[in-house]
Amino acid sequence: MKKLIILSALLPCFVSCLYVKVGDSLPHDEIYSTPADVYRNAVAALYNNLGSNQESIGLQGTCRGIYDYNTLTTDEVIVPIRGGDWYDGGYWENLYFHTWESSDRCLYTVWTYLFSNISRCNASLDVLARSSENCGVETTNAWIAEVRALRAIFFWYAMDLFGNIPIVDEHNKWQELQSPRSQTFRFIFNELQYSLEYLPIARSNEEGLHYGKVTAPVVWFVLAKLALNAEIYSDDDCTDGIGQDGSAIMFEVEGSKLNAWETCIFYCDRLADIYGLESMISSNFSTGNEKSLENIFTIPADRESYKVEYHYQFRSIHYSHGAAYGFEAENGPSATRKAMQVFGYGTPSPDPRLWATFSFDEVKVGGEPVLTEDGSPLVYYPMEVAPNLTDSPFKTTAGARFNKYETDIHAYENGKLQDNDIVLFRFADALLMKAEALVRNGQDGTPSMARVRERAGASPRECNLETLLEERMLELALEGWRRQDLIRFGKYHLEYDMRPQLPSETDAHTILFPIPRKCIELNGKLKQNKGYE
Amino acid sequence: MRKFLVCITCLLFLISQVVDAAPRRRKKAVKRMAPLEQVGFQMPSTITDTVKAVPAKGLYMNALDLLQGQSAGVNVSSDGINGNAVLNSVRVRGSSSILGANDPMVIIDGVISDITALSALYPSDIESFTILKNTSETAAYGSDGSAGVIQVKTRMNSGEGFRIAYEGHLAVSAPYGGLQMLSADEYRAVAADRGLYINDGGSSTNYYSALTRPSFVQNHYVALGGGSGPFGYRASVGYAQDNSVLKDKGNDNIVTKLDVNQTLLNDRINLDLGVVGSLSRNYGLNDPKKIFYSAACQNPTYDAEANFRNPNAVLIGAPLAMIAAKNDSRNMNIATHASFSYDILDCLALNAFGSYYFTSYETAFTDGGSASRSESKKDDLLCNVSLQYDKTWGDHNFSSHIRTEYHVERNSGFRTGVRSLANPLFGYDNLGAASSIPLGGTGSNYLEKKLLSFGIELDYLLMGRYKFALNARTDGSSLLGDAHKWGFFPSASFVWNVKKEDFLVDNQTVSSLNFKVGYGRSGNIGAINSYVNGNYAQPVGMVPVYGYPVLALGTTYNPNPDIGWERVSSVNIGAELGMWNSRFLLTIEYYYSRTDNMLYVYDVPVPPFTYDKMLANLGKMSNMGVDLGVAIAPVKTSDIDLVISANVSWQRNRLESLSGTWMGMELDADRISPIASVSGAGQVGGDNNVVYQIVGEPVGVFYLPHCEGLVQNEDGTWRYNIVDLDGDSSVDLGDYGDRQVAGQAIPKFTLGSSISFRWKSLYLIMQINGAFGHKVFNGTALAYSNMTSFPSYNVLRTAPGKNIADQRVSDYWLEKGDYANIEHLTLGYEFLLPKSAVQSLRISFCVKNLAQMTSYSGLTPVINSYVVNSTLGIDDKMCWPLFRTYSLGFSIRF
Repeated sequence: MKKLIILSALLPCFVSCLYVKVGDSLPHDEIYSTPADVYRNAVAALYNNLGSNQESIGLQGTCRGIYDYNTLTTDEVIVPIRGGDWYDGGYWENLYFHTWESSDRCLYTVWTYLFSNISRCNASLDVLARSSENCGVETTNAWIAEVRALRAIFFWYAMDLFGNIPIVDEHNKWQELQSPRSQTFRFIFNELQYSLEYLPIARSNEEGLHYGKVTAPVVWFVLAKLALNAEIYSDDDCTDGIGQDGSAIMFEVEGSKLNAWETCIFYCDRLADIYGLESMISSNFSTGNEKSLENIFTIPADRESYKVEYHYQFRSIHYSHGAAYGFEAENGPSATRKAMQVFGYGTPSPDPRLWATFSFDEVKVGGEPVLTEDGSPLVYYPMEVAPNLTDSPFKTTAGARFNKYETDIHAYENGKLQDNDIVLFRFADALLMKAEALVRNGQDGTPSMARVRERAGASPRECNLETLLEERMLELALEGWRRQDLIRFGKYHLEYDMRPQLPSETDAHTILFPIPRKCIELNGKLKQNKGYE
Repeated sequence: MRKFLVCITCLLFLISQVVDAAPRRRKKAVKRMAPLEQVGFQMPSTITDTVKAVPAKGLYMNALDLLQGQSAGVNVSSDGINGNAVLNSVRVRGSSSILGANDPMVIIDGVISDITALSALYPSDIESFTILKNTSETAAYGSDGSAGVIQVKTRMNSGEGFRIAYEGHLAVSAPYGGLQMLSADEYRAVAADRGLYINDGGSSTNYYSALTRPSFVQNHYVALGGGSGPFGYRASVGYAQDNSVLKDKGNDNIVTKLDVNQTLLNDRINLDLGVVGSLSRNYGLNDPKKIFYSAACQNPTYDAEANFRNPNAVLIGAPLAMIAAKNDSRNMNIATHASFSYDILDCLALNAFGSYYFTSYETAFTDGGSASRSESKKDDLLCNVSLQYDKTWGDHNFSSHIRTEYHVERNSGFRTGVRSLANPLFGYDNLGAASSIPLGGTGSNYLEKKLLSFGIELDYLLMGRYKFALNARTDGSSLLGDAHKWGFFPSASFVWNVKKEDFLVDNQTVSSLNFKVGYGRSGNIGAINSYVNGNYAQPVGMVPVYGYPVLALGTTYNPNPDIGWERVSSVNIGAELGMWNSRFLLTIEYYYSRTDNMLYVYDVPVPPFTYDKMLANLGKMSNMGVDLGVAIAPVKTSDIDLVISANVSWQRNRLESLSGTWMGMELDADRISPIASVSGAGQVGGDNNVVYQIVGEPVGVFYLPHCEGLVQNEDGTWRYNIVDLDGDSSVDLGDYGDRQVAGQAIPKFTLGSSISFRWKSLYLIMQINGAFGHKVFNGTALAYSNMTSFPSYNVLRTAPGKNIADQRVSDYWLEKGDYANIEHLTLGYEFLLPKSAVQSLRISFCVKNLAQMTSYSGLTPVINSYVVNSTLGIDDKMCWPLFRTYSLGFSIRF
C-alpha cells in the first residue's frame, strides 16, 4: 500500500503534463507585437483574398464567383452547352437565362466570401484599436482608415449583388437583420469619405510603397461608381417601379452639396489629375501592366509569389488554341451575338477594339494558324453561338473567345497563374462614367467619351445614353461591369441577345440575386429578397 | 472462469502454427490497461480443434485480410493496391461518429498501434485477434477505444527447445472482365452512322489491356524460437511482394519481429521485451479516377503508345502517359514495448508497462513536369502503472485494479514541391533540378497531443457463475479547452454463466450457456486534430507589403473555446450457447448506442462567424444492431471433419440531430447536406449530388430525383423522365428541389461465412463474404451511356442502342448493391512424416476472388460502402480492373 501512496502523490505532477505545445501555429497575440507585424497581419493580410485560386472566391479571377455573376448573366458573354461539355447541371444556362435559384451553392460561397472578409476587417479593427500606443496614433489612424475603406469595398460588392444585407461593423456581432439598401449605401459612402482624410494620394497599381493597396484614388473611383449608381442603390424596393432621380439624391462632398451626377463627376475629375490613358488599350492587360498609367486598382499577380489565378481566358479558348500555348484550355464562354453586333463584327468597319477583346475567325498563335485535331485550321464562328450547341455543327467552335489579357506563355497552372495583374478599376472607365454623369445631368459628355474612342482609334460618335451603354461594352467588355451597367440603364431584366424575359421578371426582381437559401436556413432572421420568396 | 467471451479467435489462422505456441505467459500478462482477465465462456475449443487438425491457410498478403468476414459486426475493407475503389478501413459496428475517428483502436501485444501498423504485420505472426465491441468492454481503454478495440496477439516462443519454420507462396494475379466500351471498329461505325467526325488514329486499342498485365506475387516467412526454463525468445522475418495487375505498380513489405521474456524469483517477476519493425513500399497511381476514366473513354482508335491527348476531351488524357506518373510511398513502423510485473504479495501485484511506436510515411510524386516529396511522422509514447489486488474467500472472488496512464502523441510532417523540372528524368530524385520552387510547395507541421488517465476497476465473482464488473475512468486531453478537459467514462456489466448452475451442470446436451448485459460510456475526440479551442495564427497567404510579396499571418478558422468530448453511451445484451459438446455454437447480441455532443464540422452563419464552418459538439446519432454467429460441426470423425460457420450482423444507424446550443447561441445546421457527388465531363458542379446526410435518416442516404423511365426527344434520342415530386409544375434538380430518399449507402446486413472440410490429410476451405440491403449509384453507367459526350468520350457498347442524350442524376441508375463474394477457396494437403526431423510439411493451392454473386449491372458493387466521405456509395468511373490470384503455398516446420 505504501507504493499506492507514493503513486497518488505523483499524480498531480502528471496533470501538468497536459499543457499545450503547438509548433506550427502561434497564439494570436504573438503576431501583433511590432508595428511592422501589426501592419502585415492586421492590414496587409486582408488583401490576400482579393484574388484567389479557389472557385467562387475572390473579386475576380476564378470561376463561379462575383465576376461570373456580373458577366455571364448579361448580353456580353454566354456559356453555351457544348454536347457533354458545359452542361454542368444547368449552372451556366441558369446564369444566362436568369433562372438561378436561391439554393445555388456558388452564390452561397460568394456571400460567405464577402462577409468572411468583412468579418476579418472587423477583427483587424479590434487589433488596431489597441495598437495606437505601440504604433503611434497617426499611423494607426491611417491603417484604420485603410481597413475601413477596404471593408466598405467588400460591403459595396455585397450590396450590389444582394441588395439588402446586414451592416456588420463589429467583430462577432450577432447582427441578424438586414438594413434597407439605401441605408447600406449611405453607410458605405460615408465610410469611404471618412477614410479619404487619412489615405495617401498615391498610385496603387504601381509596384512600390502602395502596390495593391487601397489608396485615395481607389476610393475616389468607388465613390464615383456609387454616385453613378445612386438611383439603384437608394431604392429599397426594386420591384415597385418607384425610385428617386439621381439629380435629387444629394451628397456632401468637401463642404458642398452635390447631386449624384455632380458627385460622380467630382470624383472622376480628381482621378483625372493623376491618371491618363495608355496609348494602347492592351497595355493595361499585358504581363507588365504594373506600369500602366491607366489602371487604378489591380490584384497583384505573378507566377511565383501570389496565389492569384486568372481563369477566364483559358476557360474560354478552344482546346487546340490552348494547346498551341502548351496549356490545357476548356473551350467554354464566348461573346454573345449581341456583343459581336455592338463591336461591328462582319461590318466593313468594326470597332478597332474587337481584336483587343476577342479571338474570332481563323486563330493564329505566333503567326501560325492553330490546327484542330483533324488538321484543319481552327476557326471560331462568332455568329453561330447559341445557348445549346449540342446539335450544332459548330459545337466546339461557335463563338468569339476572350482575348483581352496578354497570354503569359510562362504561366503556371495551364496559363492561369500568370504575371498579368488582374485589373479591377481603370481610368477609361472613369472617363465614361463622367461622360454618362454629364449626360444624365443634362450636360454634354462628348469630350470625355471622345477621349476614350480616340485612343482606341474609333471614329467620333454622338454621346447619348444609348451610345454610352454601347461604348461601355466596347471599352470595358470582359471586365466585370456589364450587369451593373445594364441595371443602371434599366435593361438587365429585359429581353436581350437570345434571352427572353422571364415571365416573372417584369417586376425587375432579378436585378438582385436571392439571399442564398443556406444563409436563411442558418440564420432564420434573414429575409429573402422580393420575388424570390 | 478465466476467459470472458469476447475472444473471437479467428479460427482459420490459429490452425497453422508455424512455431508451436503454447506461450509461457502468466495470467497477469502484459496488457495495456486491459479489462480484467476475461472470465466465463471460452470460445469453444472443439471446433477450433477440429479445424486445427487441418493446417490450412490461404494466401494472405495483409493482416487485415485475416479479419475479413471473421466476426459479426466487424467490416474490413482492404484494398492493398488493387482494390476496387475500396478504402482501407475497419469498422466495428459501423460508425458512431461522423468525422474520422471511426477506426477501432488497435493494440498489438499491448502496444497502441493503428490500422496501418496492423496491416504491415506479417499474417503468420498473428496468433489471434480479440475484438471488443461493447462499450462496457472497451470502457477500460477510455476515449481511444470508443470505436471498438482490436487486440492482436502475436506468436510467442515456446521456451521448449529450438524450432524453425519456413512458409511461402508463389502466386499470379490475372485481370479479368472489364467495362464493355465500344471497340475501335464499333466506335468508327457509330460515328459514321451518326455523321460525326472522329479523329481516327488508325489503331485499335483496348486501354484496359494496355494498362494491365498478369502479375507475380510472392511471400516468404521464416520464424525461429527457443529458450529454456525461465527464458524464451522468438524471432521472425517476413517478406511479401504484391505486384499489381496495373503495369509497374505494386507494393512490398518486409517485417521483422523479436520477442524475449524472462521470469525471476520463482516466477514472481516477469519481464517482457519485444520489438517489431516493418518497411513497406507502394508504387501507386496518381489520380486513379482520371486514369480509369481515360482508359474507358479515350478515343480507341488512337495508338496507346503514342500518348495522344484528345483536345476535345479535357477531363481525360492518354492512359499510358498518366500511369507513368509516379506516386510512390514508403511506410516505416517500429514498435517496441517492455513490461514488468511483480507479485508483491499473493493477492497484490504491480504492473508497469511502457511502449513506443514510431511511424514514418513518405511520399514521392512526379508526373514529369512537377515533383514533390513529403514525410509525416508520428511518435507515440505510452506508459502506465497499475496495482492489482485479487482475493478469494470461499465463493467470493474480488479483484480490483487502479491505474494511471500517460500518452503522448507527436505528429510532424514536411513536404516540398517543385514544378518545371529541367528534365522529366530527374523525377522526384532531384528537386533542385526545377525552374520553379513555388510558394505552397514547401511546408512543415507539428502537433502534440497528450492524454492523461486515471482508472479503477472492480470485479466481483460469486460462486464462479455471477460476475459483476464496474469500471470508472477519467481522461484529460490537452486538445480541449480548460472547462472541458476532463471526461468521465463509467461502465458496468454482468455475466451469468448458466452452465454452472445446478440444473445445467450435468446436462449433456448443453455444453455452455452464458448471458451478459452491459452499459458503458466512452468519449471520442478523434475528430479534433488541431488546437481549435484557442485562437492560433497560421499563414494566410502572400500579400504585397510596400511593394514586395510578404507572407501574412492570421486565424483561418472559427475558434471554438467550448469544444469538448463527444460521448457515446451504449447498452448491450447477449447470450452464447454451446451444444452437443460444442459441435453447435450460437452467439447473439443486441446493442444500442447513442452519440451525444457529436463532433462535426457544422455550417455556421456568416456573419457573425468569420468562416462558414466550425468544429463543435452539437448533434446526436444512434446505432442499433444485432450480431449473430453460428458454427456447426455436423461431421466429426477421425478421417472427416466438416465445419460450417457464419456470422451475420444487422445494423441501423440514424442521424438524430445536427442542432444545438453553442455558447448560448442556437445553431441549426442545414437539415440536408450533400456528402458525395458524381463528377466528370458535363458534371462539374451543378446538381450532381447523390449521397446526402439528412437528419432523421441513416448517415449516407441516396437523395435523388425520381425518374420514371425514358422519354424520347424530337431528334430520336432519349432523356430521363424526371418527375416533378413537389408538384410545383417545374422540375428542380437542386438540393432542395424534387428529390427523395431512395435508399442507404451503408449495408444493412453483412455476412461472413466459412466452410472447412477435411478428409484425412486433404482439406478444403472456402470463405464467403457479403453485404446486403444497401444501394450503389452507378455513376459510371450514367456517364458512359450519355451519347452527347460521344465521340469526344467513348461510351458503353450498349449506349448507342439506348441512345440516351442526358446525364442528369436521378434514381434511374440507383441499383441494389447486394453481393456475396467467394473470397477464396483453398485446397491443401499435409504430409504426415512421423519420426523425421520435419514436424510438418504441407502444400496448398488457393484462388482468391473466385466469384461474385450480385445483381449489380456495373463492374462490381464492392466500392466504398462504409467510410463517410466524398466517394461513399457511388461507383463513379473508378473502375479498377478485376483480378484473381492463384497461389501455390508451401510450409515446413522443424
